[in-house]
Amino acid sequence: MTLLTLPKNSISSWITLLQSKYTVVGPKKQKQEYIFDTIHSASELELDYPTTILPPKKMLLPTKEELIRFNFENHQRNIKPVFNNPPTVLFGVHTCDLHAIALLDHVLNQEYPDQHYLARRKATTIVSIECLRPCSEFAFCKSMETLSVHENFDLHLTDLGDRYSLDIGSEKGAGLIKSFASVREGSGEDHQQLRKIMSEKWSNFPYRLDFDVLELPSLLSLSYNSPLWEELEKRCLACGSCNIVCPSCYCFNVIDEMDLRLHSGSRFRVWDSCQLDRFATVAGGHNFRPTQASRLRHRFFHKGKYQAESSGMVGCVGCGRCAQTCLVHISPVDIFNELYQQQTARCLTEQEAAT
Amino acid sequence: MISTKKPKVAFFDFAGCEGCQLTVIDTLQSHPELLEAVEIVQFREAMSERDEDFEIAFVEGSYSRPSDKQRLNQIREQAKFVIALGACAHIGGVNALRNAKPMQEVRRTVYDHRADHYEAGKALPIAAAIPVDAFIPGCPIDRHEFIRAVKTLLQGFLPEIPDYPLCVECKLRENDCLYNRNEPCLGPIIRAGCSALCTTFGVGCEGCRGLIPNPNIESLKEVMAEHGLSQSMIEAKLSLFMTNELKDFEVVYHGS
Repeated sequence: MTLLTLPKNSISSWITLLQSKYTVVGPKKQKQEYIFDTIHSASELELDYPTTILPPKKMLLPTKEELIRFNFENHQRNIKPVFNNPPTVLFGVHTCDLHAIALLDHVLNQEYPDQHYLARRKATTIVSIECLRPCSEFAFCKSMETLSVHENFDLHLTDLGDRYSLDIGSEKGAGLIKSFASVREGSGEDHQQLRKIMSEKWSNFPYRLDFDVLELPSLLSLSYNSPLWEELEKRCLACGSCNIVCPSCYCFNVIDEMDLRLHSGSRFRVWDSCQLDRFATVAGGHNFRPTQASRLRHRFFHKGKYQAESSGMVGCVGCGRCAQTCLVHISPVDIFNELYQQQTARCLTEQEAAT
Repeated sequence: MISTKKPKVAFFDFAGCEGCQLTVIDTLQSHPELLEAVEIVQFREAMSERDEDFEIAFVEGSYSRPSDKQRLNQIREQAKFVIALGACAHIGGVNALRNAKPMQEVRRTVYDHRADHYEAGKALPIAAAIPVDAFIPGCPIDRHEFIRAVKTLLQGFLPEIPDYPLCVECKLRENDCLYNRNEPCLGPIIRAGCSALCTTFGVGCEGCRGLIPNPNIESLKEVMAEHGLSQSMIEAKLSLFMTNELKDFEVVYHGS
C-alpha cells in the first residue's frame, strides 16, 4: 500500500481548503478542557488533544435533534421530516471513539434503520488520528482492544513528528486530499519511521483489566447477584454524567414542542440516561429498575454482556470518560476487576471444598 | 381541559421578593405572543385591574402567615389549575432559612419591640396550605420553562418539570465540572431545567430548583467533604434553599 504524508505546516491551508466545501469540526480548547466543535479558523484545531468532555458522537447523534415539523393550521395535517446535514469533516477522532461510532453504525442500522443518524453519518467524513500515548489516566483502551483501528475511518492520521502519515479508508477520505498539492508519497524513511512509532507506542499504554476482555461477558453472567452492586449504590449519585459522556450510549427521549397558538411545532430527540431514577418508569407509574443498584448493574451488563452478545462488539470502548467524570470514583475497570477477583476467590473456595 | 377561549390567568404573591413576577413581566415583553394566548385578569405587580374570574392561578411566594390560608383557599376554590411559581412557593425559598430558629426570636430580630404585632411564622411551600397542581421551580423562575409550562397548560396538561439532576444539563453544555477546581456544587441532587445557568458561568449550584426524587444526599456530602468543605459549610450549602425539603415536611402550619 502506498504511504502518503502531509507536512504539519500545511495543515492550516488544508483546513482552509476543506472549509470551502465542508463544515469542519474537530477538537478545540474551551477553558481548561477540550470539546468537539466547528472549527472556524485552522489555528483552533488541536489534533494533539488529550480527551474531550463529550465524545464526537454528538456530531452524528446531536444532544437535541429536530426530527419532524408539524403544522395543523386550518385543519391541515402537514408533517415533514427534518434533514439538515451539510457535508461535514469530523477531524481528530481517537480510535476508541471510532470503535464507538462503529457500534452506533451497527445498532442504529438494524431492524428499524435510524434515518436521521444514517443521513448525518453519510454526510460526515471521518478523519481519525492514531493515539501514541494515553489521553488520560482513566483510559483503558488497550484492555478493550480499541487502541488500533483498521476500518470505519475515511482518512487516518499518524503523527510522524513534523508530518502526518495518511491512511485512506474510503473514497470520501481520498476526496479530502485529492486536489491538495502538499500531500506526498512517503519515502522509505517515512515507512521505517511509521513502523517504529507504531511498534513503540504499544508499550506506552498499560493493560488495566486483570483478564482478557473476551472473558467479560461470561464474567458478568456469573456476577448478577454480586454484593458489589449494592455497595456501589451507596455512593452512586445517579447523576447520569457517565451516560452523557459515553461515546457508545444511544438511549434517547422524544419530546414535542408546540408554538403558543398550538397550531404547529416540532418533535425533538434528546439524549437520555439509564442511570436516572425515572428512566425505566413506564405508563401507570411502575419503575422496573427502581433501585440504583439495579440501574448500575444494567449499565455494566449492557456494555459488557448484552451488547457483545447482540452485536459481537463490547459496548465499552475504554475511553475512560465516565471514570474521569464520576465524582464518586466509579470506574468500569475497577468494577470489572473487582468482579474478577470475586469470581476467582469463589472458584478457589469451591475447589478447596471439592478436595 | 381548559376552555377553547383564551384562558383567564391570574398572578398572586405571598412572602417573596417578587423576582419571579418580574421575570414573568420581562417574559411578556420578550414574548408578547403570550398575551395573545391568554387573558391576564389579575396581576398586582403589573396592572391595577382585578378580576376574580380565572382558570389558571400562578402563586408566587411562601406561605408564612396563618392569615394567608384564607386567601389561598379562595384561589384554590376558583382556579382549575394552581401553579406554584418559583422557589418560595415551591419549597419555601430562602425565606425558610428562618425556620431553623424559634419564631419568636426571628420576629424580635426583624421587628424588635413591635414583634408581637406581626404573625410571621415559618416559611412553607404553598402546598402546605392548599393542594397544588404543578410547580415552576427556581429563584427566580426560568423564562423558557415558564413559556413551556404555559404552552402545556394551554393544551390542558400539567407542565413537565425535569426530574433528573442538573449534572445532565451541565454535561450537555460541556462545562468543566466545578469540582475539578474544588468549587462546591449541588448539581448531582438538584432538579435540572435551568440550562445549567449558574454552573455555566462558573458558580456552583445553590439548589434553588429543589431536590430530585431520591437524591443521594449522604454521598454528595462526602464528595463535598473530599473537596475541602467543612461540615458546617456543607450544612449551610444544603439549607440555603432546602431547609423545608431536608426537614420532615410540615404540612400543618406551625406559626409559633
